[in-house]
Amino acid sequence: MTDLTPITALGGTIARVETFGALSLTENPAMALASLALRKGQSVPSPFGMTLPEPGKWTKSGAIGVYWMAKDQWMVEAEGRAEEDFARVLKAEVPEASVTEQTDGWAAIEITSSKGAAPIKALLEKLVNIDAGAFTQGSALRTGLDHMSVFLIRRAEDRLAVWGMRSSTETLWHALAVAARRLEDI
Amino acid sequence: MLIPHPLLGLRDAQEFTYLGDANLINRPDPNAPNAEAMFCDYVFLRDNPAGVHRELWYHEQGDRSWLVVTRNTVTHEILGAELASDVALAHREGSK
Repeated sequence: MTDLTPITALGGTIARVETFGALSLTENPAMALASLALRKGQSVPSPFGMTLPEPGKWTKSGAIGVYWMAKDQWMVEAEGRAEEDFARVLKAEVPEASVTEQTDGWAAIEITSSKGAAPIKALLEKLVNIDAGAFTQGSALRTGLDHMSVFLIRRAEDRLAVWGMRSSTETLWHALAVAARRLEDI
Repeated sequence: MLIPHPLLGLRDAQEFTYLGDANLINRPDPNAPNAEAMFCDYVFLRDNPAGVHRELWYHEQGDRSWLVVTRNTVTHEILGAELASDVALAHREGSK
């Protein structure tokens, strides 16, 4: 029988990690993702007992994170559950709404700073046309990064997550790594 | 250029794609007796004002919403933006 080896979005058997000065980039293959969209006229549910965030926001409770994607649409993350059928778990929470599996369409890269918020802010300023100063803890938005559509989540002052399209993860990693390397001296 | 997104605040115009005259929302009734003439106007004829214009913009690298942006085509000043769904809904309510 064929022995299949699972690989990450970047093609490795373990998550890739690279450090440039204060910034560390880590691939996060264990994070599950599912989208949640309300049907017409449906009232806003509270999956896992959470209040769904306002536009431009991200909230977290235990291992579950939720960020706003569009009007009446959210993305739900679950740490360490990428190999389960997380969409089914979410659907059981919100039977009225539309739930779609997204784990295999996206890949998460977590960026941490060992010198507080400043290196994360400098990285944002270098990479995306958003108001980096206003992109504080708990903010999440979708924007273009090197012509790729990405979700950015400010998990903490010193932590930023980037969800990119899985098929272009290598290109996204390259863009992030090049920018981080140029900030090494800061 | 920054577009004041009604939900997300000021966002860079690079995140958007442009469609054109917001009058495209007002699709004629295909069952009307003069539907052919009205669709001819709807499809082919556009106002092209030098000045304030209402246009459809799509937030492609954002929340994927359609906006009606009021823009001065001479100065590029953006005077306002609203969700196209709200505009269409208000129009439908108004025509009842």
